Amino acid sequence: MKKDAMTPLERAAALAAGGEVDRLPVNPNIANGVARIYGCKISEFNTDPKAQAEAQVAAYRKFGYDSVRIFTDLFPWAEAMGAEVVKPDDDTADLARPAVGDVKDIDRLVPADPYKGGRLAVQLEAMDRLVDRVGGEVPCSGSLAGPFTNAFFLYGVNEALRLFKKNPDAMRKLCRVSLETCKAYAAATIAKGLGVTISEPMSSCTVVSPATFREYSLPCLKELVDFIKGKGKVPVIHICGDTTEIWDDIADLGVGGFSVDNVVDLKKCCRAIGGRTKMLGNVDPSTVMYAGTPADVRRKTLECILAAYDSPKGYVVMSGCSLPVESPQENVAAMMDAVRDVGYPVKPGKVEGMLRELGAGD
Amino acid sequence: MDKDGLLKSIAQAVVDMEEERAAELCGRSLQEGVPAKEALYRGLIPGMDEVSRLYAESEYFVPEVLSASDAMYAGLEVLKPHIETERGEKAVKVVIGVVKGDTHDIGKNIVKMMMETSGAEMFDLGRDVAVERFVEKAEEVGAQVIAMSTLMSTTLVGMKTLVEMLVGRGLRPKYKVMVGGGPVSPEFCRRIGADLYAKDAAEAVKVLKAECGLAR
Repeated sequence: MKKDAMTPLERAAALAAGGEVDRLPVNPNIANGVARIYGCKISEFNTDPKAQAEAQVAAYRKFGYDSVRIFTDLFPWAEAMGAEVVKPDDDTADLARPAVGDVKDIDRLVPADPYKGGRLAVQLEAMDRLVDRVGGEVPCSGSLAGPFTNAFFLYGVNEALRLFKKNPDAMRKLCRVSLETCKAYAAATIAKGLGVTISEPMSSCTVVSPATFREYSLPCLKELVDFIKGKGKVPVIHICGDTTEIWDDIADLGVGGFSVDNVVDLKKCCRAIGGRTKMLGNVDPSTVMYAGTPADVRRKTLECILAAYDSPKGYVVMSGCSLPVESPQENVAAMMDAVRDVGYPVKPGKVEGMLRELGAGD
Repeated sequence: MDKDGLLKSIAQAVVDMEEERAAELCGRSLQEGVPAKEALYRGLIPGMDEVSRLYAESEYFVPEVLSASDAMYAGLEVLKPHIETERGEKAVKVVIGVVKGDTHDIGKNIVKMMMETSGAEMFDLGRDVAVERFVEKAEEVGAQVIAMSTLMSTTLVGMKTLVEMLVGRGLRPKYKVMVGGGPVSPEFCRRIGADLYAKDAAEAVKVLKAECGLAR
């Protein structure tokens, strides 16, 4: 794998100032796969802040991508509010039992205190170590499950889906208390000196209608984004699945960037809202990054660059979602090298030439 | 209300996601001497077909499909004791489940429900299902299709393992392997050597009909 001439922070600063850089920023979004690179079990992240931070550092040192984040799965916030989570020995955690099983118990939910033990406290400690180790060269962030998404985990996904019809007020209450937890965690993250990224998969048009999104999720997101901005950071948001119908809503939130799923037409998305927010995306994490070859990764990375390199507010090459844990490391390296080979400023003719060299593929 | 009006109202109750109304109307149809099968095939199922159409056209989303299927099942509960089971031997048998590591089963439940209402015989293994269980169950019931879904990119590897296991045990030609769910693509389906891909529940039923035919 090739070397870079600048650190990610130098690159980000130069790009922001409209200056010269060596290449586009890139984030393969390795997620819990960092455990494989560092050589620990994924379950160690649940209790060991050192393992969590050092695994991020190890993966960053290996590949040199442009941002590192503390994030293991979508469930620590619901867990801190009373949900139960399955924690496999060496795989990503999952929701076992929601925090409440009955509508009448919703009023008993209280926002989580992230400093008060559990996995949230482990994550906050990991943030200290991460900033200490690499904060001087690469942007560090803490990720959180957005208010709407976390609301589903408080009540159980299937049951919460029924509330829109049966008890909309209950769903609103779940979103509110969820929002308070998000704010507390975001404040703690910012106090540690990190940026914030929001994962909001349940807001996707693959799950709920744009109308449902606007009624329940958007007001909470707006409040959260404003809260974070009030503390001096501009969050990046990721929504899985199709989001075409809600692009304008997301741009109107005034987020620092929008990370899109691979099902989204990246070029169309850039044209629609690229003038209002930075675009990140969207190499397919499963078909290409997990199941593909390095040549597939190179081709798809180049195609994404062609689609989005001139997006007015900037573009970061990224996977469409967190990578499967067993994604081959050579595929991550292939994404990095494709971006390095393209260089900066991006010359579309050159990228097209690189694509032709690769041939049509299979 | 005449019979046709009643059957239409049953369908409408499903489309409107009205659980209690669907149950009540099914009860009334029985009282008025409408055969349970007719209430099912000319009431509840046309209602669900309309729901599938609305879903395919992005008018309904997951919460609406789920609430409508609750209404359909509420009606079905009332009718069930009155439907003589004469399920054709020819019904396609499908073993379905969410692969190990993933406990999100809403998508799978919708696929199962839609396939069931289209006449397939469904064997639901639930969520977080080990690969061996799919194979064991398919062998046990003599299924023609093994359908796997996942929402999380982190659990895709199970789908590949299943195909390899079928090949390893010499069982591959016996089954059509169907895959779907958020992170799955037609290309992924092809790469792991699975047979059928569907992007959503409505398409899953279409693919199953095209491939295997269905009883109804």
